[in-house]
Amino acid sequence: MGDHITSGRRNEPVRVALLIALAAVVFVAYSSHLFYLQVIRGGEYQKKAVTIARKIERLPAQRGEIYDRNYNLPLVLNVDSFALVVVPAEIPADLRDTVFAKLASVLEEPIDEIRRRIPPSYYRLFQQIEVASSVGQDVIVRISERIDEFPGVSWYSRPKRNYLETGSFSHIIGYVGDISRDELKLYYNRGYQAGDIIGKAGIERQYDSLLRGTDGRQYKTVDVRGRRVDAELRDVDPPMMGKNVVLTIDRATQILAEKSLGERIGSIVVLKPATGEILALVSYPSFNANLIVEKGGNNEYARLLNDPRTPLIQRTIQSNYPPASTFKTIMTAAIIEEKAIPLDEKIVCHGEISYGDRVFRCHIRKPGHGPLDLAGALAESCDVYFWEVGRDRLGIERVVSYAMEFGFGQATGIDLPGEVGGFVPTPQWKERRFHEKWLGGDTLNLAIGQGFMQTTPLQLADMMAMVVNDGVIYRPHLLKEVRDPRDGSIVTRVVPEVLTASSISKETFKTTKEYLRGVITEGTARYPVNTKAVTVAGKTGTAEVGLADRWHSWFVGYGPVDAADPDDVIVVVAMIEAANPWEWWAPYATNLVFQGYFAGQTYEEAAAQLGLLGRSMPIGQRME
Amino acid sequence: MASIRKLFSSMDWTIPIAIVILMVIGVLFIYSSGVTSAGDLVSTEYAKQIVWAATGLALLVACSLVDLKRVSDYIPIVYGLSLALLAYTLAFGKVVNGARSWLGIIGDYGIQPSEFVKITSALFLARYLDRSVHEASTIKRFALSFAIIAIPMGLILMQPDFGTSLVFVPLYLAMAFIGGINKRYLLSFILVGSIGIVLTVMPLWQTLIASEQSIFLRIFYEKPYDYYILLMLVLVAALSLLGFRFFKKRYYYWLAYGSAIGSLGLAFSLAGQRLLKDYQVKRLIVFLDPSIDPLGSGWNILQSITAIGSGGVAGKGFLQGTQSHYRYLPQQSTDFIFSIISEELGFIGGIVIFGLFFYILVRLALSMRKLRDVASSSFVAGVFGIIFFHFMINAGMAMGVMPITGIPLLFLSYGGSSLWSICIGVGLCLGVGARRYDS
Repeated sequence: MGDHITSGRRNEPVRVALLIALAAVVFVAYSSHLFYLQVIRGGEYQKKAVTIARKIERLPAQRGEIYDRNYNLPLVLNVDSFALVVVPAEIPADLRDTVFAKLASVLEEPIDEIRRRIPPSYYRLFQQIEVASSVGQDVIVRISERIDEFPGVSWYSRPKRNYLETGSFSHIIGYVGDISRDELKLYYNRGYQAGDIIGKAGIERQYDSLLRGTDGRQYKTVDVRGRRVDAELRDVDPPMMGKNVVLTIDRATQILAEKSLGERIGSIVVLKPATGEILALVSYPSFNANLIVEKGGNNEYARLLNDPRTPLIQRTIQSNYPPASTFKTIMTAAIIEEKAIPLDEKIVCHGEISYGDRVFRCHIRKPGHGPLDLAGALAESCDVYFWEVGRDRLGIERVVSYAMEFGFGQATGIDLPGEVGGFVPTPQWKERRFHEKWLGGDTLNLAIGQGFMQTTPLQLADMMAMVVNDGVIYRPHLLKEVRDPRDGSIVTRVVPEVLTASSISKETFKTTKEYLRGVITEGTARYPVNTKAVTVAGKTGTAEVGLADRWHSWFVGYGPVDAADPDDVIVVVAMIEAANPWEWWAPYATNLVFQGYFAGQTYEEAAAQLGLLGRSMPIGQRME
Repeated sequence: MASIRKLFSSMDWTIPIAIVILMVIGVLFIYSSGVTSAGDLVSTEYAKQIVWAATGLALLVACSLVDLKRVSDYIPIVYGLSLALLAYTLAFGKVVNGARSWLGIIGDYGIQPSEFVKITSALFLARYLDRSVHEASTIKRFALSFAIIAIPMGLILMQPDFGTSLVFVPLYLAMAFIGGINKRYLLSFILVGSIGIVLTVMPLWQTLIASEQSIFLRIFYEKPYDYYILLMLVLVAALSLLGFRFFKKRYYYWLAYGSAIGSLGLAFSLAGQRLLKDYQVKRLIVFLDPSIDPLGSGWNILQSITAIGSGGVAGKGFLQGTQSHYRYLPQQSTDFIFSIISEELGFIGGIVIFGLFFYILVRLALSMRKLRDVASSSFVAGVFGIIFFHFMINAGMAMGVMPITGIPLLFLSYGGSSLWSICIGVGLCLGVGARRYDS
């Protein structure tokens, strides 16, 4: 084998040729294969490249639950539900009609409804179009069993809100809905996206950012038919559930107040003056939030919107009324503080006074109340006394300034959307608005809470809260705590916040409170407010609204008057609109709330004890 | 100076020009791979690659100035140092993609010593082949030359970087072939390796890919039959050798040869099955039927083929590829750079890439013919082997005809170490090519 030494050199060109041949074989083979892949089968792969797509599936965050102050049973639950979406471009053109027809039959909707949601201009879109929201598990199962027949169709979990308490609760909690284009524009920077669920009213809207949580994301790869190819779950951002919200509302008190109001257009506020916590906020007529959230909720919403009784209005904060005689509470405090008239000086009521070319009549016609001091005038709600003192001793400027001192004319800042602020008229305002001078008659009207003055029931509750707290109003609020959904630990606890601190002296409030107690013991409210469960003080009000034999009926009261712990005190405001048949219900409603709250009774028990069962018109059955 | 001018004038400049074209395409498509479907640039790899390419070219030119004959005495030291570096990496290196193959230098920058060891090993092997040319076809020469390669290869396998270690096989075969190692040994080596590999992947191939399992083939990998077969083959080999010894019949010789090759291959596969984990073997054979692993590497192959196929004749245009920009392709800038190029430049672009590689290979091979010494020609053959193997495996993998090994497409893929090492290699080749007439 020695010849290899020389052959090593001799054979070199052959070996090099062999290497080149090897490279040439690979070059030719690879070029041919590339030609086969790109030119011969190119079209096939081009189709494949378009149809294999990576889908980002949203993992919606569970919306937080809402509880009443006792944090035991939620007021709102999430129920499994799905949104059905279609990527129009993934439906082959020749199958489109078939797919639409199948979708229509599965969803039990007319096919035109599907066509309306996916108009021809969308046919080439690669975006998901929602065909139906809140689809049940059964429909999804039926589709997924035959997913091959539904190209381009997919769904994602979208828990539905189930409001366990409706009626007056719906006004507080509100409801959710698909984010609108305008809302999207407004909130886009806060991480909202098209297709999001957003709180539309009430607490759902107010605390949407707390409740909504953070959506997660899952990246999926799917083939032409929408079937999943890549089952790897490594690209998952898990969703974060929204926070649980605990309200200051007490479920029992809310139901008590709701039933005490019954089927009367009006509202009731139950407030803890020591903290500003709202225990009950009832407005009637109300609605059922579940009907708005459900399929076809738009029709329900339209119906509510067109209802002349405006059931969507939360009357406690969204309606202004003249405070009428309840305003005499402020007048009394003003008269005492300003020493406008000696407290024992009596003014004789003849049932009417003449002013200008008008006759102003007290609610007791001739011969009138007779001689009354301030305590008596408040107890009997004598208009003549407050007219004369207001016009001659106090003067319009001081009346206005005290009204504002008690928070009238400004929104309370309660944590509910859509609050209105009431109104305190001034001479300057009248000249600007009507180009008319402020007249003595206007002062007379203002002195008894009539005329241009407007207030919400909540503001009236705050007025009484200031009396109870000797000059302090805590901002009324509905949020008690924010809790972590996993372990229920408290994330945030709302601390009372001073809304208004008045400089009126403690003595003034002390006297005012005594006089307000007189309203119950010997005054106008001694018959209707007769509960033995608690000592109540308060003020009635009956507002002229231009209807014959019908008036707004007010009562604002608090109790117990001799509370050892200020935390025990509640303020109750009842407001019955003049639209109802006149039955002077506000004091009775208040009486029922005080009775039920302090005796720990349900509405039925309280009404039976107070002998009001026959007179009341409660809703036959609570709507659930 | 005059000698440098003379050197440069006799150099084959078309090779660096082809390399520069490839590098430019590489930078462009590394840029493209860093662009998402939304058009955002999410990677600055292209900028780093510009630095790698420029420095690589400088290294190429600098290395072409080195006269290998003059530094010949230092080559064993360089080889030893590079092995030491490899051992150091094995102990203290940084783990990247599951292999302890990196040495951090500054911050994110680091080198992969295994890439450079290819060149130093080729240099040392070339030197040995040159010095042992007088005993050209002895088995000792074959064994020693193979040992020079086997040591770094083993160290790299221990990292474990299977792909990079595999490159040493064609490197060795090409150099040994040109260096005049007895072709029978090389052929035996190839046969043993092939049998070993086939039998190593056989069990998984049978269970995963083959439509009907062959009961006959199971005796080659199922215990205890594989040991019986091995024993039988060894016996046959021994008996045949005895027969040849006593009867001098030619067929005894071939029988002994065949059964010896078979038993070696089988033994090799038994070791391989023990060393390689199932997922590693699966990665090697998944290209035969990507659907067996639709979630992992099979998916990558399918996506790569789809990307290439959808490129068509003229491609989708630069930055217009869908598969790549929707991030269907894994390691777009390294392992699957060819997919993105073919998707966006189409068949025309792919053929240009193939043509450039083919051109470089042919020019390198042709330059060997004029070289007078074994050291030079075998070293050039080694570089030829490296480029050829990288190209064949990487482009083949992208097209779905070669196994996934994770080795880059030279000059195009992102990465500094492999680019620098091949630039050094090509530079040295150009240098010996230009000095072909020196005495």
